[in-house]
Amino acid sequence: MTTLEVRDLVKDYPIRSGLRRSTLRAVNHVSFTLTPGRTVALVGESGSGKSTVAKTIARLEKPTGGRIVATKEDGTPVRDREYRDHVQMVFQDPFASLNPFHTIEHHLARPLRLHGRARSAEETRRGVAQLLERVNLTPAEDMAPRRPHELSGGQRQRVAIARALAPGAQVVIADEPVSMLDVSIRLGVLNLLARLQREDNLAVLYITHDLATARHFSDDILVMYRGRVVERGPADEVILNPRHSYTQLLAKAAPNPDERGRSLADSPGAITREDLGRGFDHTTGSWYEFDRPVSVPLQGAGPEVARS
Amino acid sequence: MTNLSPLPGGADESAPPVGGTTDPIATAPRRGRNGLRALLPSWSPKLGIGLFLVLGIALFGIVGPPFFPNPNAIDPIGMTEPSGEYLLGTTQTGQDVLAQLAHSTRGSLQIGLLVGVLATLLSALFGIVGGYLGGAIDEGFSLFTNVMLVIPGLPLVIVVAGFVPAEDRGWWTVALVLAVTGWAAAARVLRAQTLSLRNRDYVAAARVAGEKRWRIVSVEILPNLLPLLASQFVFAVIAAILAEAGLSFLGLGASNSHTLGTMLYFAQNGFALQYEAWWWFVPPGLLIALFGCGLALINFSIDEIINPKLRITRQVKAVGDVAEAAVAGHEAVTESSPDERRDDLVLTVRGLNVVYRSERPVHAVKDVSLTLRRGEILGLAGESGCGKTTLAYAINRLHRPPAEVTEGSVTFHDRSGQDIDLLALENEELRAFRWSKLSMVFQGAMNSLNPVITIHEQLDDVLTTHEPGMSKEERRARCAEVLTLVGVDPQRLDSFAHELSGGMRQRVMIAMAMLLNPQVMIMDEPTTALDVVVQRGILREIIRLRDELGFAVIFITHDLPLLLELTDRIAVMRAGEIVEYAPAEEIYASPRHEYTRRLLESFPSLTGDRGSFIRTGESASRTEPPAASANERAQP
Amino acid sequence: MRYYVRKLGFYLVALWAALTLNFFIPRMMPGNPVDALLGKLQQRGGQVGPEVRESFEALLGSDSGEPLWNQYFTYLGNLARGDLGIATSAFPAKVSDVIGQSLPWTVGLVGIATLLSFALGVVLGAVVGWKRGSWLDHLVPATTVLSAVPYFWLALIFVLIFSSQLGWFPLNHGYDVALSTGWNWEFISSVIEHGTLPALTIVVSSVGGWLLGMRNMMVSTISEDYILTAQAKGLRNRRIMSRYAARNAVLPSVAGFAISLGFVVSGSIITEQVFSYPGIGSRLLSAVQNSDYALMQGIFLVITVAVLGANLVIDLLYGAIDPRTRVEN
Repeated sequence: MTTLEVRDLVKDYPIRSGLRRSTLRAVNHVSFTLTPGRTVALVGESGSGKSTVAKTIARLEKPTGGRIVATKEDGTPVRDREYRDHVQMVFQDPFASLNPFHTIEHHLARPLRLHGRARSAEETRRGVAQLLERVNLTPAEDMAPRRPHELSGGQRQRVAIARALAPGAQVVIADEPVSMLDVSIRLGVLNLLARLQREDNLAVLYITHDLATARHFSDDILVMYRGRVVERGPADEVILNPRHSYTQLLAKAAPNPDERGRSLADSPGAITREDLGRGFDHTTGSWYEFDRPVSVPLQGAGPEVARS
Repeated sequence: MTNLSPLPGGADESAPPVGGTTDPIATAPRRGRNGLRALLPSWSPKLGIGLFLVLGIALFGIVGPPFFPNPNAIDPIGMTEPSGEYLLGTTQTGQDVLAQLAHSTRGSLQIGLLVGVLATLLSALFGIVGGYLGGAIDEGFSLFTNVMLVIPGLPLVIVVAGFVPAEDRGWWTVALVLAVTGWAAAARVLRAQTLSLRNRDYVAAARVAGEKRWRIVSVEILPNLLPLLASQFVFAVIAAILAEAGLSFLGLGASNSHTLGTMLYFAQNGFALQYEAWWWFVPPGLLIALFGCGLALINFSIDEIINPKLRITRQVKAVGDVAEAAVAGHEAVTESSPDERRDDLVLTVRGLNVVYRSERPVHAVKDVSLTLRRGEILGLAGESGCGKTTLAYAINRLHRPPAEVTEGSVTFHDRSGQDIDLLALENEELRAFRWSKLSMVFQGAMNSLNPVITIHEQLDDVLTTHEPGMSKEERRARCAEVLTLVGVDPQRLDSFAHELSGGMRQRVMIAMAMLLNPQVMIMDEPTTALDVVVQRGILREIIRLRDELGFAVIFITHDLPLLLELTDRIAVMRAGEIVEYAPAEEIYASPRHEYTRRLLESFPSLTGDRGSFIRTGESASRTEPPAASANERAQP
Repeated sequence: MRYYVRKLGFYLVALWAALTLNFFIPRMMPGNPVDALLGKLQQRGGQVGPEVRESFEALLGSDSGEPLWNQYFTYLGNLARGDLGIATSAFPAKVSDVIGQSLPWTVGLVGIATLLSFALGVVLGAVVGWKRGSWLDHLVPATTVLSAVPYFWLALIFVLIFSSQLGWFPLNHGYDVALSTGWNWEFISSVIEHGTLPALTIVVSSVGGWLLGMRNMMVSTISEDYILTAQAKGLRNRRIMSRYAARNAVLPSVAGFAISLGFVVSGSIITEQVFSYPGIGSRLLSAVQNSDYALMQGIFLVITVAVLGANLVIDLLYGAIDPRTRVEN
């Protein structure tokens, strides 16, 4: 079993405006640990840096600072060459993450071969069939020769999940895996992911903007705002008893038919100035200070900050 | 070299680098035709004629020459008209024109093919490799490409040819020079496309899978570039044959071989035109024209693969059109008697049917009846493809062919007491009706705003069209007023769409919808692309403005929880039909239809129970998740 | 701001590349070009004075042992002073004077014809694209036939029909040689009369490309959401077509116009050859035929600089008509 530790992750992007250059800190000293059999949810709005965390863990981006260390069951660190055997990713848009030119079989056979899970053609064929069956795409021999456009969104996402499992990965990064799917099939895909996690004892990082699925699907939640983790802790604690004003704002802004009586015209609140400089950890039950406060967003571009 | 636009099909490589306007391939979901089959153009008369011309001429050039006598053989009969012995007559020195034509076609094809291959290879090297690797290599390659592009080709060729003695100028020298001066435009197009493909998720997925770079370029990216490469190749061949002809005409062509260009050169120098020897002068030019035309026709078909929007969808006419029967005979505006109309109604839809008349007709909206009260917010819920957007467009008659309203009526009950039959309005009446009584807010405000003119011009357009009496100052004041209403600083009037955030753009769209104080606003997923906090802010504005101004709203979304909070009544749509239509509380408390229940269950409650969720990490003894749900079918 | 700085930088690089290319092409040729060319020139009975040899050496390099980069800087220095050497074919006229005489003819004829063709193609393309699927649309492939015909062949046939047979236009040359040049009506009308047919051939052969490009962009643009919004706003069709559809669809054509200028100049050389027009293209050809290398290189430079300059102007214009290019990232 593999454990993945993210420590003090920092990612800067250069931005050019006019002739000046500056940097945008997309991820600002983020730390967490993924352990087998548990799910961590990374919750935030667009621009919060949650997808950047996913990309750096999947090694699609190089971190500016900090470390990402995967450790094998026996305690030895995963070497660079075998990193991709252990850590895989499921992308957001199943319409974009499968190559329209290639068959489903190609998408699954390549990782099997690349990571030495299948040597002969026969082994590959059996491996592909097995993977397809695990994600409920049956009959496998019927699905394998198809091309992505012949599949529905939900089916495509199942293929993408199978692809992530193909190298035998123990750590799966799921970047908004259901947000592009029709609502009535989202739970099916999430439940599938949950089943595979139980069967293989996977460590899962679930990235989403949806508080409700984050609460039900994961064990721990990290709320990100402008590159910082502003609140962290067990899922129910964070959602039902939010302490940071940003988490409170998110929870109030989400549509909630249980509170149909409330007036939509009321303001859902705002981030307090004090909270820009700190985050709350439910496991220790205490606040922690940032070395520098989170920058205030541009007017109209995001949630408002209370003017005190 | 002179004639054809270097941009086949107005390719998008020159599209502005920022703002991300639509790249046709990126946006158009290419469902239905992907993979290998998509690489083959669909059959059309254009393609047939093109292939016939190209193959015929190629066959003539490849197989023909051995059947004809020596094209250089001189016959003392001199210049003669076509006859039994010489089918296309003879030249000034008595050479057989037809034999020359066969040999020259072969020569021109050789040059065209060689240049095509070389130029495509060069453009692929600089465009694809540079585009994929990025960084300094890309900058360098791109600069080099652009420099090659702006340095005029023919003068350069002439200067080079001037230095190379005529006796050293074989056909392959000419081909080489043409290839070197002719690849740059294609490289630019390929680079732009590679840049767009490089950022696709499937390339990222291949990297995560551990694929090597060369494999990503050759296996994941290259196949998707094949149509573009084919189009560039075809274009390079046409351009090369034309350029060679031009060079030959200037006396700078290949000196030791027959090409159509040299043939024309000799015809011109032999005063073929002055002697009206059409049989000598016309055939070579015509052959080039037909070959180029054939290739261009083939390129049309390839362009349609690259940009599916170019394809013309043929509308299948229905026999005995129901719509006309339903619509005909209606007076557009009728004064209804007070007893038969309900005072608080503003819009009535009765038995509306919309059919997409494609080769496989799709019944997108089936017998839909709705009523909208004044000041009411009506929710229209449904998943993608359920027909909710088609319905919304049909109400305002914005649906485009092949969609067609086949049956039903849409009646607007105006404040003034008039009833307006929307389906019977004439073009000009319809135009005047739109926006002044019923306005719309579309999904994705980025695309709903014209990217190249200011917000003010787009707001102003509405007023100049609908309120011609207003002065310029009044119009500007009104525009500023509506922006203030939705909480946007009026100073933003002179901004362009790309200078605003997503939430602000959607506010601008709502402001625009309110310009003429309409009685109904149709909102199609107005907040779907936005973050929850921004979405919440916009919903607040909608509620507040509705309370102030009293317009009615049809709010379309897949987000049922949002509708439950926001709306008065909800219509749930599936497969073109309204399966449940009831007040929001009722839908929430006691949904009747099984589909409504399933939709509701799809949204786990934030604060309540887990519903049909199975929590990870718990014992596997809990029930297995249901297999792929029933409605998860492949899209048509 | 950054956009303009980058564009200027690019054109400086392109200019430098063209100058360098011009410097190295003759030096890459085998043998000592100066001797060979002087020999050739003498055979034709040209004047070979020391000043000619000097100008050849400055242009083509010499074996005097001077290092290459020294020659290169001398060359750049001469260019900076506008000294292009002496045109041997028009001895003792300076290259710059010869170019100065012929340049206005080309700019006038090709410039006007190209702009006309562009405007016509874009307007027709917009109309055809707006009414896609109509009978007009089916005529589009026909225009590509015109583009696939070798230009000079088409032009010669035009000459045969309209000049030789019908006698509507003069056969060739830029003006009636019997007239003295000057700004009088008689002369100007003669220029217009002589220029009409060449201009017509340029328009006929190039309009199809613009038309097709614009039509395709128009078709793509029409399916954009802002067109739908404009329709929902109840705007008049004419306004939607011009302000919303064509306004956006024309952008790639404008960018394409810049790129195609190089092709346009190339075309003009052939045009001038067909019509014996006294422009810079026929000068270039006669320079090649008379082995007047100084003139040849001078003309190449002038053409390149002109194309680069026109490109720069269009790029700056593009920045003005598409607000998105002005912001980066």
